[in-house]
Amino acid sequence: MLQSFFEWMQGLPFSAWMLEETWASPIIQCAHLVALVGFAGAVLVVDMRLLGRGLIKTPLNQLAREMDRWMIWSFVALFVTGAPQVLSTALKQYYSPFFWWKIQIIVIGLLFNFTIRRRVAFAEEGTLGHWPKVVGFLSIGIWTSVSVYARLIGLLS
Amino acid sequence: MRSLFEWVDALPSSIALRESLNAYPTMLTIHVVSMCLFAGLIAYWDMRLIGFTLKKVPVSNIPTRLFPWALTGYGINLITGALLLYSQPMRYYGNFYFWAKMALMLVAGINMFWFHYATYKSVQAWDQGREIPLNARLAGVVSLVLWAAVVVTGRMMAYSGLMPGWWNNLNIGA
Ligand code: HEM
Ligand code: HEM
Repeated sequence: MLQSFFEWMQGLPFSAWMLEETWASPIIQCAHLVALVGFAGAVLVVDMRLLGRGLIKTPLNQLAREMDRWMIWSFVALFVTGAPQVLSTALKQYYSPFFWWKIQIIVIGLLFNFTIRRRVAFAEEGTLGHWPKVVGFLSIGIWTSVSVYARLIGLLS
Repeated sequence: MRSLFEWVDALPSSIALRESLNAYPTMLTIHVVSMCLFAGLIAYWDMRLIGFTLKKVPVSNIPTRLFPWALTGYGINLITGALLLYSQPMRYYGNFYFWAKMALMLVAGINMFWFHYATYKSVQAWDQGREIPLNARLAGVVSLVLWAAVVVTGRMMAYSGLMPGWWNNLNIGA
């Protein structure tokens, strides 16, 4: 079922075009990395603040509200530049354990962000004890491991 | 220059790194993650200067509070980049994107020092304000564009088949 879905993606004319066109994949990959830098900065500014580092003179919820849009839009950019690569290399992705780990951790990361992290970052500061530190630490860990697994798809599969 | 690269290429430690199965994936992965720490923070500093974001954060807060972290990322990035180069010097010697990346980093560095020792001296006058001087905003734009180009040329190094025709005609790698 899942396998035939990936076979279907691999067989799309768009996938064939991506593989045919010399510059399509490199441009998309470069754009994915530029988007990653935007995403990483938006996440880190808030996570470091949750850990009590970085821009501590600015109220946490103000910083978090401001970075929220940047995080969401750079994630959209990551999706837009990631999806075509999934289409054009669907079978390689399907057989790579790292791809599946990456996708699962992304889902966990998104759920974590919209249920817990945002709530903690938007809350009145100083009311949650050590929880902001735990949340900042987990968030950095989640997105770092997404990047590590993502890079290993290309290197080890 | 070529003989330097060839000399490194023949060193036992370079050969050992090159032949290790884990060294390349490990170094490249750390290179990318440390790039996130460095370039991610610098991007928001640049965008603060340009006036895109973080407008309520005093400008001078960012160098004092975020630069130590950005520089930590840069240090790791530099070490892993240097190790990658050390492990396969002759692979990169004839690579257009490698030299372009080094040149872009140099220009980005010059821009940074120029900004820091000239424009930034007057920061007290515009620290809180929303009106950033044109020179500072320009430095932000230049930095943002250059570091993005470093990321792009960094990724393009893997595409040895996609170098400009005029570069191939120079026959540097042969
Ligand atoms: C839903 C969104 C995303 C999709 C569909 C996606 C998809 C992909 C694909 C297919 C690749 C190529 C892997 C290969 O075959 O070598 C890739 C590379 C990569 N992705 Fe993503 N990705 C997404 C989001 C993210 C996020 C959120 C991060 C990090 C926080 C990330 C970090 C990376 C990294 C570091 C690489 C390796 C870059 C390279 O050197 O080419 N991606 N992504
Ligand atoms: C002296 C400093 C540096 C050296 C010697 C260096 C060297 C290298 C080398 C040898 C590679 C491997 C290319 C390959 O085999 O495909 C690489 C990849 C890369 N570098 Fe650097 N680098 C340095 C600094 C930087 C900086 C400052 C950035 C970004 C701001 C950067 C971004 C990248 C990127 C995005 C890649 C591609 C990673 C990937 O394939 O996922 N590098 N670098």
